Amino acid sequence: MTILRLYIIGIFLCCSTFLFADDNELDVNTLQFPKAEYIGENTVRIPFKLYDNLIVIEAEIFNQKGNFVIDTGAEKLLLNNVHFKNTNNKPSHLRHSGISSDIDEVKIKWLKKMLVRDFSIDNVKSHILDLSHIEKSKKMSLFGVVGYNVLKNYEIFIDFYLKQITLSKIDNDGNKIDDLPYLEKITDTINFTLRKHTIVLDSYVNNQKLKFGLDTGAEMNLLDRSVSKKVMKNFINPKKMVVVGAGKEKNNVLAGKLHKVKLSNAVYCGPMKTILTNMKTMDIAYGTKLDGVLGYEFIATRRMILNYKKKQLYFIKTVFFK
Amino acid sequence: MLKFKFYIFLIFICFSTVVKGQKTPTYIVEKDSIVFNFDVRDYKKFTKDNSSRRVDADELDIQKVTLSGQFNNWSRDGWEMQKTGDYIYQLKKKLTHFDSEFSWEFKYLINNQYWAEPDKSFDHITESEKSSIWRKVYNLKMFTVHSDENGNAHFFLKGYEDAEKAILSGTFNRWDEHNLEMEKTKGGWKISLNLKPDTYQYKFIVDGNWMEDPNNAHKEYNEHHTFNSILTIKETVTFELKGYENASSVVLTGSFNDWDSKDFPMKKIDDKWKYTLTLAGGKHHYKFIVDGKWIIDPANPIKEHDEYGNINSVKMVE
Repeated sequence: MTILRLYIIGIFLCCSTFLFADDNELDVNTLQFPKAEYIGENTVRIPFKLYDNLIVIEAEIFNQKGNFVIDTGAEKLLLNNVHFKNTNNKPSHLRHSGISSDIDEVKIKWLKKMLVRDFSIDNVKSHILDLSHIEKSKKMSLFGVVGYNVLKNYEIFIDFYLKQITLSKIDNDGNKIDDLPYLEKITDTINFTLRKHTIVLDSYVNNQKLKFGLDTGAEMNLLDRSVSKKVMKNFINPKKMVVVGAGKEKNNVLAGKLHKVKLSNAVYCGPMKTILTNMKTMDIAYGTKLDGVLGYEFIATRRMILNYKKKQLYFIKTVFFK
Repeated sequence: MLKFKFYIFLIFICFSTVVKGQKTPTYIVEKDSIVFNFDVRDYKKFTKDNSSRRVDADELDIQKVTLSGQFNNWSRDGWEMQKTGDYIYQLKKKLTHFDSEFSWEFKYLINNQYWAEPDKSFDHITESEKSSIWRKVYNLKMFTVHSDENGNAHFFLKGYEDAEKAILSGTFNRWDEHNLEMEKTKGGWKISLNLKPDTYQYKFIVDGNWMEDPNNAHKEYNEHHTFNSILTIKETVTFELKGYENASSVVLTGSFNDWDSKDFPMKKIDDKWKYTLTLAGGKHHYKFIVDGKWIIDPANPIKEHDEYGNINSVKMVE
């Protein structure tokens, strides 16, 4: 119940960032990762923890320590105004739309330069808004959400075996600036398309082509309820589930296991817990029309590298060593 | 008259305490399992799903009771309970089903359409998202971290013997302020937990007042401008190197001993060189030094570069 609600809130936040595209230039700020290992001038490894199904790293900003969610489903860096009330960044303009009316205060700021020790992330646009409902549900101190506009400048190795995320800065062609080859063997490579900020994977279920978004901030996999019958045949053992949306409205949805998802001739997925939903309501958040979303259930079983410039996903063989 | 009122008030207090104490625990932990209990007598009303209409518990002919909660995504028909007594329904589940989270909200669902909502007299409850200013709605709450005498983490708060209640709260239960009640013992308060290897922050709450552990020098400044005490749980790990039978010395070295080349000499047992030590949770880099030559662990496929470009073997402790 909470999980989907958070997810919907996440989506809602994505929507809101989308709408507030006003920029305000401000002083230099720094984002640091106290637990990070720096293995090159342009490569950093940051351990993550899981809060339920969210990938969370500890970071320090404005001399405060807190958590950030790594979220490929979010367009921008979002900061939680609960922790940044005293940053004196009053909004210069607030454009109100239907969605914004729910937000008490939206401050928009321009993090001109964020430094990760020797590491610099330039001109990162961030939005400050109220994320306290996520803090409350997850019982964590949440500083913000790291989204596409930060992640796109790196090759990102999300490693669920070593519970860490490695960020390697890339040049305009998508090549890693540090000459540090991976010690792991890349077993599969998949091309993706980028629609707005969303990674879209051509996927196949029962030989039917579908467009799935890849979203590290999605706690559940999603499948559009209007997919063809041939696809639906592989949505096994559906059960009714009660979910509460962001507006606290109750909904009955179907949760089941989606079988035989194929991303290429080489990458097959085992049965994944999936919720059947109306994806149209999420088109704005993702900036594109999708048939479904691959979230935690897909990512948690893999060691995966993501390169936004090359528009490629690499998979590393999962190893078990005691 | 005033005396009489006070007397009535006292009776009321005593009565409500007894009523609260009479409830069947909504779950109990038995070794490696959790037993969920639904006792019909503990509920006066049930709430119809969708319409929110409330009916008297006596009016309902109970055909089926299901356990529905965050752990099964509020499924309505997955976890059916067994009738084990005139009024009792039970369901036993392995603790491992629940260890991915610190706490879970749940409720019992009658005949697939009526929610048994606990009132404030239940012990472990939390306000539901469905709650409104018009009507408070609660869910039951269970905690995966619980008091365990045979646990690996022992907490002792010296003194405060006159206090009525002492609670342990920390990152291991996401700072819950109720579930880990400490036991009053000679000279203070105690509780033991079974925790995975990791570094945790914690505090005591003594009669409502938060305090750091006065006997623990390891602490970290927090956002409330006070300190959280720090506890690191370690795990025993044995490193092994097979072969190298003719080597005269094999030493284990790694990030855990600042890459010292003498500290941890390995012993030859049968056909393996072994060394056992305790390690904190998380990632550790290591190598073996065989007769002065540094090598990575040939049996371990997990390796990483360090900041100087060296390649090390990697051990995860979880």
